[in-house]
Amino acid sequence: MSLAALVISDAGGASQVAWLGAGLAAVFLAAGVVGGSFTTVHAAIALLGTIFLLRQDTRLLLAAPYGAGLLLIDDLAAQTIELSGVSQIELAVMGARIRAVLVVAAIGACASAAAALAVTAARGRSVALTALGALAAVAAFAAIVRPLRRRYGTAATAEPAAAPAAPDEIRDGADGGARPEAAR
Amino acid sequence: MSGSLAPRTPGLFALAAAGLIAALASGRPELALLSMPFLVFAGAGLILAQEPRLAADIELDRTRLLEGEAVVATVRLRNDGSDSVQVELAPVRSRNLALDPAGVVALDLPSGAVAQVAFAAHPRRWGAHSVGPLVVRARDRLGVTTWAGRLGRRLDVRAFPREQRLRELVAPMRTQPFLGTHVARARGEGIEFADIRPFRVGDRVRRINWRATARRGAPQVNERHPEHSSDVVLLLDTFEEARDQAGGTLDSAVRAAAGLARAHLARRDRVGLVDFGGTLHWLEPAFGITQLYRIIDALLASDIAFSYAWRNVDSIPLRVLSPGALVLAISPLLDKRSVALVTGLRRRGCDLTVIEVSPLDHISPGRSAADNVAYELWRLQREALRARLQSLGIGVAVWERDGGLGPALEGVNTFRRSVQHAVPV
Repeated sequence: MSLAALVISDAGGASQVAWLGAGLAAVFLAAGVVGGSFTTVHAAIALLGTIFLLRQDTRLLLAAPYGAGLLLIDDLAAQTIELSGVSQIELAVMGARIRAVLVVAAIGACASAAAALAVTAARGRSVALTALGALAAVAAFAAIVRPLRRRYGTAATAEPAAAPAAPDEIRDGADGGARPEAAR
Repeated sequence: MSGSLAPRTPGLFALAAAGLIAALASGRPELALLSMPFLVFAGAGLILAQEPRLAADIELDRTRLLEGEAVVATVRLRNDGSDSVQVELAPVRSRNLALDPAGVVALDLPSGAVAQVAFAAHPRRWGAHSVGPLVVRARDRLGVTTWAGRLGRRLDVRAFPREQRLRELVAPMRTQPFLGTHVARARGEGIEFADIRPFRVGDRVRRINWRATARRGAPQVNERHPEHSSDVVLLLDTFEEARDQAGGTLDSAVRAAAGLARAHLARRDRVGLVDFGGTLHWLEPAFGITQLYRIIDALLASDIAFSYAWRNVDSIPLRVLSPGALVLAISPLLDKRSVALVTGLRRRGCDLTVIEVSPLDHISPGRSAADNVAYELWRLQREALRARLQSLGIGVAVWERDGGLGPALEGVNTFRRSVQHAVPV
């Protein structure tokens, strides 16, 4: 809500579009959480990120906290989905995860702010700078993906999003009872 | 434990990549800045993630219990790794065992910590149940990777049927020549007075009835009925059952069989068991507490097994149905094969009583008038079947869910006394 308000307050003539985008994002987010779909949640985050461009002023300054806010929303939604099937949750589970995400979001915001400073200091757009940026992005992905492939293989195992259901195992006989030999 | 990316992680990367590409394509650096926290988050999560080293153990406070009681399964989970993990765990359980808490339990487990979770396990019915191993899913602190596996071992719980308390049992027509508690028809050494007869050579002096001797002028002795045991064969019909949410006829039949076995063994009878259905199992008659546990173990494994096989009396080994044995057939009388078996046994001269576990309690008549008519017809057919069995000299004790088994057996004893001298058809 506050992220959407941040955009709408400075969207000028595009405030209608900003309202629409924020509304759609809220619907996607709710649908994703209720339906347990990470894709829908990510679509909502992408939509919220896109409407940020509608803001007219101080976009570079606000991009870092806005991005951190998007990450927090994404993680809260993910936690809600992941813990949806859990019948008993220790308070420490939520607390530890939220603390860790806050720390990482803060680091991400700092990195984002540093990048914003670099962008501000740069002279302007050029082919060389764009190529450098593209190379940096590819290198960052490669640096992450290579150890990943080494650790988990090429395809990640498809896994249900929600917590595993308490499994039933039906065994032979009346629930696995063994008959005494004398009864044979 | 096998590791994989959490389901949301590819999406995080996709968001970050989309932001960077869009920034490059559109020349809007804000998009790259927005995607930066996602990239840092996913990258940090993946680089810092380690395979968790978890060890689990399950303990039960007891392994044998009665229906309706609960057993506590204590799960201990230890994190031997250097990083804290978030763990979701749920014990594997057999179908008729309810656990409390019922679903998944989520814990935060710091490095070196031991967590303990107690699950109350309630068997929904008698039987052999099991708890464990644990299905465990661990996540790193940021929830970017997950590790899943099974820990611990399987533990068995045996829930014994809650038996019916019986004060009166079906009295056997014939007894066996072993010391027991049934008054035999034969005459010999015993307590119950039978008759007076003239003294014969070899009679013990203490048996002389002095009053009768004084009246008749010649020595008279008392004759007595000896106390003998009998052979009892419990015939459990597992061809078919009627079942609703509260239970089924087989559940009640097993409770009845366990109660009858205990009561007859306590009266020094030899008790055997025949599990007659899709599969055939039997226990030869024997005395004692060991036999009771054998019978209960065999009863716990009873289940309805669907079969087209037409079984009859010939399928039962002769050594199980000893001559003179009292056969107690516990059946809902739903399958034609059971009815054929019962009539076949009677035709062979077996001393037979049917304990009918009424299926009517488990079946509702339906809503429409046609359903009601069909239900009434079925009920009348059952009454006709009962009358047919009684006409063959078979006592039928109808045991309804709300009533006790004892009163049903009292009624059948009265019937048996009336047909005691009837010749088997």
